[in-house]
Amino acid sequence: MIRPETPQQLAEALRMLAGEHRSIRMGGNFTKDRLGGPTTAAAETLTTAGLRRLLQYEPQDLTVSVEAGMPFAELQRTLAEKGQMLPLDPFTGPGWESATVGGVLGANLSGPRRRLYGTARDMVIGMTFATLEGKLVQTGGMVVKNVAGLDMGKLMIGSFGTLAAITSVNFKVFPVPLFSRTFVMEFPTVSKAFSERDRILKGQLPPAAIDVVNDSRGCRLLVRATGNQQVVDRFSADLAQARSSEGEEESAVWHEVREFTPRFLAANPEGGVAMIRTPLASMGAEMERLKVPCIARAGSGVIYAHYAADPPPTQVHDESGMMKKIKLMFDPENLMNRGRLHGYV
Amino acid sequence: MEAILGPRGYLHSSEDLALYQYDGGIDAALPDLVTFPQSTEEVVALVKLAAEFGMPIVGRGAGTGLSGGGVARAGGVIVSFARMNRILEIDLDNECAVVQPGVVNLDISLAVEADGYFYAPDPSSQKACTIGGNVSENAGGPHTLAYGVTTNHVLGMECVLPDGTVFETGGRSFDTAEGYDLTGLLVGSEGTMVLVTKVIVRLMRKPELVKTMLAIYDRPEDAGATVAEITARAITPVAVEMMDGVLLRMVEEAYHAGYPMDAAAVLLIELEGIREAVEEQVEQIREACMHSRAREVRVARNQAERELLWKGRKNAFGAVGRFAPSSLVQDGVVPRTKIAPALDFILDVARRYDLTISNIFHAGDGNLHPLILFDPRKPGETEKVKRAGDEILQYCIQVGGSITGEHGVGMEKNEMMAHLYSSDSLDAIAGFKKLFDPRCHLNPGKVLPTGHGCLEIRQLPSDLRY
Repeated sequence: MIRPETPQQLAEALRMLAGEHRSIRMGGNFTKDRLGGPTTAAAETLTTAGLRRLLQYEPQDLTVSVEAGMPFAELQRTLAEKGQMLPLDPFTGPGWESATVGGVLGANLSGPRRRLYGTARDMVIGMTFATLEGKLVQTGGMVVKNVAGLDMGKLMIGSFGTLAAITSVNFKVFPVPLFSRTFVMEFPTVSKAFSERDRILKGQLPPAAIDVVNDSRGCRLLVRATGNQQVVDRFSADLAQARSSEGEEESAVWHEVREFTPRFLAANPEGGVAMIRTPLASMGAEMERLKVPCIARAGSGVIYAHYAADPPPTQVHDESGMMKKIKLMFDPENLMNRGRLHGYV
Repeated sequence: MEAILGPRGYLHSSEDLALYQYDGGIDAALPDLVTFPQSTEEVVALVKLAAEFGMPIVGRGAGTGLSGGGVARAGGVIVSFARMNRILEIDLDNECAVVQPGVVNLDISLAVEADGYFYAPDPSSQKACTIGGNVSENAGGPHTLAYGVTTNHVLGMECVLPDGTVFETGGRSFDTAEGYDLTGLLVGSEGTMVLVTKVIVRLMRKPELVKTMLAIYDRPEDAGATVAEITARAITPVAVEMMDGVLLRMVEEAYHAGYPMDAAAVLLIELEGIREAVEEQVEQIREACMHSRAREVRVARNQAERELLWKGRKNAFGAVGRFAPSSLVQDGVVPRTKIAPALDFILDVARRYDLTISNIFHAGDGNLHPLILFDPRKPGETEKVKRAGDEILQYCIQVGGSITGEHGVGMEKNEMMAHLYSSDSLDAIAGFKKLFDPRCHLNPGKVLPTGHGCLEIRQLPSDLRY
């Protein structure tokens, strides 16, 4: 396993491997091999885990720059010391704690609070990546608003390392809200849960997170309110029938959501998770159709469907062929993470 | 051309073309032809014809851009989207709208206002500028602080490649589709890679309460310090705009918005959200302002007062027109804690170049808009102004910022790109440009500096039969 310690070393390693036409399995700590399609054997394995420095943290500017191999949890701890956070909430759980910043971006993981804060594409303000030509390419910068040049960082997010190796990432970060409360409601059917979701989304109170979970324990709607005390109180009045929690009890609710997929995969070695994207209005019907355990980001049009065996294949839509052209521009011999991105490239 | 667009579908007389040589910036170039397609099919036919004659193709919305993005730098065909200006569908259940590129930004919000929704990016030109132009330049606005720029609100697009291929990206889901985020790559590509013929934008719920405040300062650095204080107190306004005294006086004379004539700077701060939360934040902001030595803090009491405060801000560029024949507005960005030193630097530039520079900043996110007033009829003046502007942008780069926060690079700042990015980074951008537009037909001479862009050869359209 090649484990570079600097971006320059990483770029050089890629250049050498490409020069020798050797296939490369590239990642951070390889916690997400069961997401994003199959992994295939490669001539060489390369990890970015050796690049783990905190490059710059400016709490007053609400910006941070880290190397790609820094564990995501470590970044969160650094931010928490200053009362700040990166509300991505990626999967976690046994075996997943070492997930790196680069890996979380490569797999485009996001979590319940995407309703309020968006996903990685909304939080990344700059990035550097190393190409198979041995170049270090910078995109964006260290300011929260920047439209100079193409936003190439967006292509790396969700690319499963099939184009280049992310070496460092700059984020805009957020203050931890002063108050937070979570409301859990149980429903006899999925459609009833989505009716309540509709009521909330069309109402005046903007939830930070709104998930529907449907599994062997039934169907539940989870709503998280964050902000100042008044926001939380208004939600409490609006959702008076719900079971509510704060503090550690609340954290446990969301931890369970974030651990759901990793635990399911651990328990089902032949299983897989499909990420189904659908417009908001069709989510309920789509989830009723799925006869497997599901978690829905009910305010963002994403359903995670958990199959104990034979998950349906994921289609990549690329009618224009531009995605394939982009892949070939970066990696003409298809050396990087062959099979990833659902075997498309 | 007439076969494709009909007799009223294009302009070619020199007096007509002269109207299309500018945008809102200071660069100009004459196109050879201005066309007005009404459908994607007509756009396809147009780009194919232009390609046949090797003519550059330049997309254009309302011409309000501030970096020369819609100016036909190398001549050629301007594709105006003025007649593709319909809102095709409003889909509130899915919190989105499908629009043609010529739809005016504000018209989307007006169309959904009664149902309690809005489209978030709000450039100052929002009464005129179009979504197509917004997508090309990745436009922002005062509320970017809370909501982000255009790219954060585009869910999908229909695009036309310069060879006439039509393809779609994204869709109505809020998530990027499996595969590479082409929407994210193409928003902000400044018309150099595709023409955008349809846009799916995200709609958001209107907040329950909006409060607008005006904080008045005797010293500009105190206004800068307030921005840092607001961040330190973890208060999250949706807009924090700063205007210096020079600008204030011009705006006040033009619009009578109620700004104090003797102040050194003001901050215009907006808060949104649910009623009780906003009311509490108003008090928190007031404390932060007073802590940073504000002379006075006013809160707009009603919608009319709010609109008046914003009228002054959003029409500031127009107000400047009363005082100088021309002006150059820069769009540099600095880390938000560097607002005060940046202002000092700009004042120093004004002194050294003997120029009047007034300042209007999106202070909350560090986006500077120094307005350099000048008279282009004075020999050497335009060059001097450009040098002063470049010096300000160099400063932004030096303190870790950027040369553009929302206006785009265009033909105004493309040479500055070489100071911001390494040669390898510029080559990567050029690689994408070549992939989408191998023959360099789309908006040549933009974004990339000399030596990195493709060479453009101007071919006169003398062979074209009108």
